[in-house]
Amino acid sequence: MIDLLPHIINGLTLGLLFALIALGFTLIVGVMEVINLAHGSLFAIGAYFALTVIAGSWFAGTPFGAWWLSLPLGLRYVLALAIGPALAGLAGMLLELCLRPTYGKPPLYGLLLTFGAALVIEELIRLVWGTGEQNLALPQAINGAFLLNGMIFSTYRFFAAGFSIAAIVAVWLFLERTSAGAVIKAGAHDSEMVRALGYDLARLRLVVFGFGAALAGLAGVVMVPIWGLRPHVGVDIVIPAFLIIVIGGVGSFWGAVIAALLVGLVIGITGVYAAAWSTMSMYLLLIAILGFRSRGLLGRKSALEN
Amino acid sequence: MISLSDIPARPSAWITPPMIVLAVLLLAAPDLLPAVGLYQYLGIEIAIWISFALGFNLLFGYAGLHSFGHGAYLGIGAYAFGLFQQHVAASLWGGLLAAVLAAGVAGALVGAFLSHRRGIYYALLTIGFGQIFWFLAMKLHRITGGEDGLLGIPRPPLALGSWQVSLTDNRALFYFSAALLLIVLVLCWRVVNSPFGRVLQAIRQNETRARFIGYEVWRFKWAVFTLSAMLAGLSGSLLAMAQQSAYPDVMSLHQSGLIVMMVLVGGGLVSFWGPVLGVVFYFVARDVLGGLTETWLLWYGLIFMAMVMLRPEGLAGMLHGLLRRRPALKPTTAPAPATEAA
Repeated sequence: MIDLLPHIINGLTLGLLFALIALGFTLIVGVMEVINLAHGSLFAIGAYFALTVIAGSWFAGTPFGAWWLSLPLGLRYVLALAIGPALAGLAGMLLELCLRPTYGKPPLYGLLLTFGAALVIEELIRLVWGTGEQNLALPQAINGAFLLNGMIFSTYRFFAAGFSIAAIVAVWLFLERTSAGAVIKAGAHDSEMVRALGYDLARLRLVVFGFGAALAGLAGVVMVPIWGLRPHVGVDIVIPAFLIIVIGGVGSFWGAVIAALLVGLVIGITGVYAAAWSTMSMYLLLIAILGFRSRGLLGRKSALEN
Repeated sequence: MISLSDIPARPSAWITPPMIVLAVLLLAAPDLLPAVGLYQYLGIEIAIWISFALGFNLLFGYAGLHSFGHGAYLGIGAYAFGLFQQHVAASLWGGLLAAVLAAGVAGALVGAFLSHRRGIYYALLTIGFGQIFWFLAMKLHRITGGEDGLLGIPRPPLALGSWQVSLTDNRALFYFSAALLLIVLVLCWRVVNSPFGRVLQAIRQNETRARFIGYEVWRFKWAVFTLSAMLAGLSGSLLAMAQQSAYPDVMSLHQSGLIVMMVLVGGGLVSFWGPVLGVVFYFVARDVLGGLTETWLLWYGLIFMAMVMLRPEGLAGMLHGLLRRRPALKPTTAPAPATEAA
């Protein structure tokens, strides 16, 4: 019998990273009722900027570039973890400004606009960073592998999983324990009432979109050493994220987390028996779950169904 | 924004003036295209994609069912045509029939699963099924040839009784594709102006209300999905002939998204002719912008985004506004804001 444990662990790590992406996605869906098909592209933007920060490639050959590269890799990695998501968040805010004319129209328009944005961002990435496959350099402390019970585990996967858990808990605490989080949740529940209470709905949407995009960017920086970085990584990742929020139920926090773990596990375990088909398994999971529960695991009624 | 129901239709007519214009243009295209610096193969591509887009718009524009995985049925048609030629018989009509049936069966199965869903869940499931078909095409190496595609698909001659024409020449294939396109055009025109087509539009405007009136909504949704998949299959078989091969590429999310973009830019949401304009615009833009810059998709994407933001009624809507405004000396009021319920 094949020992499943490493595959289960790998699957759960993948699931935790998926959860991080899906959380930003589900926040945006909840508050804006926009399906952001460019979410994966924001993930890619975060990762590509992190690449630039770590490699300092835009300043190569200048004194600044030389000084930058003399900084320890660990410091540059931490900076990348901050700058990548921040720039992804800014890109998300820009996208939100573009989305404004579509509010009040059928949800299709938001979907279409973000689909166009995904195409544009992918082409921009090809233009700026080239078309090849790239990867992030990692600091020694979180790179490499270790032995446990006679099995080899990648250190980075554990770092990524721990990081994701911390981020998920932080987002949950932010939503549940701060007043800003309460406003966001209220906005997802009934945005008209939030406006009636005197909150600036336009600003709320801008902030939520930026926040969701920054989460996508953060997931991008953390996930890329596992998935690799190529211009169409945005499309590769937005589909699992999309599946996850639908399996979990649109707008549900824990639904998204549970669904993400489920998808990660299914991909991990299918990978053992039929590696070529592991990506396919998540679509079958989607169809199986939606066949029984049309609103996903923990879903509630949403305007997006109309 | 105007809607599909606002542009007056002539439901009784089988043939309308724009159809005659299109037919004349198609007849002249093989000589016209080289004259403006383009090439004949482009004509075949445009004819195929217009057939695909017209069928797609029955679903997208008329019924308001947003499929983001429609390339799958185009691909299924292409593979079915190729496999029929290679394993059953080198026959044109047999291949076309196989393609339409294969795409129809796939569409009917998927449609049965989809038709109880609405809105975003519907769109997502179409993506899911589209990806599954794409994945199968990539992975069933022994049948489909995997990523390399199915190569060496012949162009069997067109046989009507004892009369035979070879389609190996691009010009001949173009005329054949154009003839099929005109048949698809008239068929779609009749469908959208039939009682069935009216019900589809009622479903788009308000599905709940359509159900309360007494229509079994899911049957209509299922039927239009299947019909649209069959038309995609027909276009797919022509694509297989044109390329003399079939690739999984057309089934990808990227390509399925492109047809959505083409139809929307053309104005499929407001006009029967939207898909036609959209496809022509896309291919001409591809060749003209593509000749100027390597990043033409970037520009096409930006045009598309601007359209969605500012003019979601697309080229057809702009054209309609222009034609309608000219007789009146000054426009009295701006077009009414979007009031159509989703």
